[in-house]
Amino acid sequence: MLDNLNQDVSILQPSLQMTDSQVQNRIRQMKMEDPDDQTCYQRFCNLFTIEYYREYFDVTTDLVIAKVVNAFNPFSGTFFDIGGGIPELYGPFWILNTLIFTTALSVNIIKYMQLQPGEHFEYQFQIVPILTIFMYLKTLIVPMIYRVALKCVSQDRLTLLHCFTIYGYSAVVMIPISLLNSIPNPAIQWMLLVYVLFAQTSFLTSNFNQELKYLPKEKKYMIVGLVAVVQITIMILYKFYFFSSINYQQLGLVKKRTTTHLLSHILGAN
Amino acid sequence: MTDNHPFGSGMFQGQAKFVDYAHMNQQEVQVNTLDEPVLDTLLRDINMILYKLSYVIIPRMKETQGRKLRNWDLWGPLLLSLLLAMTLGINSNQSSDTIFGTIFIIMWGGSAVITVNAKLLGGQVSFFQSVCVLGYCVFPINVAAVVITFLQSYFGFFLRLIIVGVAFLWSTFSSLSFMSSMMNEEKKVISVYPIFLFYMFLSWFCIFI
Repeated sequence: MLDNLNQDVSILQPSLQMTDSQVQNRIRQMKMEDPDDQTCYQRFCNLFTIEYYREYFDVTTDLVIAKVVNAFNPFSGTFFDIGGGIPELYGPFWILNTLIFTTALSVNIIKYMQLQPGEHFEYQFQIVPILTIFMYLKTLIVPMIYRVALKCVSQDRLTLLHCFTIYGYSAVVMIPISLLNSIPNPAIQWMLLVYVLFAQTSFLTSNFNQELKYLPKEKKYMIVGLVAVVQITIMILYKFYFFSSINYQQLGLVKKRTTTHLLSHILGAN
Repeated sequence: MTDNHPFGSGMFQGQAKFVDYAHMNQQEVQVNTLDEPVLDTLLRDINMILYKLSYVIIPRMKETQGRKLRNWDLWGPLLLSLLLAMTLGINSNQSSDTIFGTIFIIMWGGSAVITVNAKLLGGQVSFFQSVCVLGYCVFPINVAAVVITFLQSYFGFFLRLIIVGVAFLWSTFSSLSFMSSMMNEEKKVISVYPIFLFYMFLSWFCIFI
């Protein structure tokens, strides 16, 4: 029965295989169709057991590391070839939490460096809940936008979970950038911002490439444009909300002249 | 594989195995000790907490010696989390309530999330045992926070960094032996990484007091 199951699936989706836990889940689902075998609890409350979600966490260390290394490479487009392209939620979830931690750390380092000699340092705790909400909302909503966009150009290879996976792993680039953002040089910060935009957008589009290859040019540019616009919006919100407390004048990096006064007013507006 | 799994397809069966063992012992003891003075009960609980703390203070890499930690209790983690949250909250004048709330939620929520993560990855951990171990292993970070609070004026930034770094490594090693013994070889790093992140998050709060 197991062989038939795998064969069945492989006809529909030649590039995606099933893992052990997925097979077990399918068997359980098929058993579920026989109501005599199931208790009431098992029929309705299966959603609340751990086993239900286990198929989304079916990863090993090597797989996660391979995916993370792949995410740093914006041109390869081979993300869905690793481990059979099975969607998983382990990577996105923990990369998200690491990102929240590093951003909170970075903001506090900046604040610490701007300390006046006699001042006592106040750790800015309020940023952690705000950061959490921002990051979680971003990770929930943006893959849905991508999935809707991909559905509009009528492809069905990538499900919503695939979009969650790839978006979660694309955020890995932001982790070292958020730490480097604590360097108080405005030129470096803008360069880092541009790099992240470029890296994330090209990583996502090169992995959507299989869908985009056969499209007419307008639709292709529309999808690429949508990805880029969403990323730009998020990056700008991120930089100007969380890193806006940098006072470049105080750090002695910008001389107080009339021409540069406007620039420093925009960058350090607080 | 599902046969050996304590939380097999029938969730109640597996759970009863662990709950019965822990609670039956306590019930038996309680029936006999219902008449004893309150001080005796408190002292016994405190002894149990101190006994478990001794397992944290000397990290044991062999799993067999950590077996006593399986009689989980949540008093120790509660006391340690309250102490940590209060210590970190005292030093901040403006937002001590935010700090207290954040630390408390991060500690309990973080322990819960790490345990659920380990279970989702296929580990054979009991939920409360794992929360108990993670809670007890916060003890070194607690010590570092208290030391830094009371000797604030003598410590420069780098000395604080060293103290908190040592406390963080100590905490991580203490919980490592328990947690990694539950997982497969190929999933050890990905189940230990969240613990590392959790203790690092708590440690960074201590440096910037």
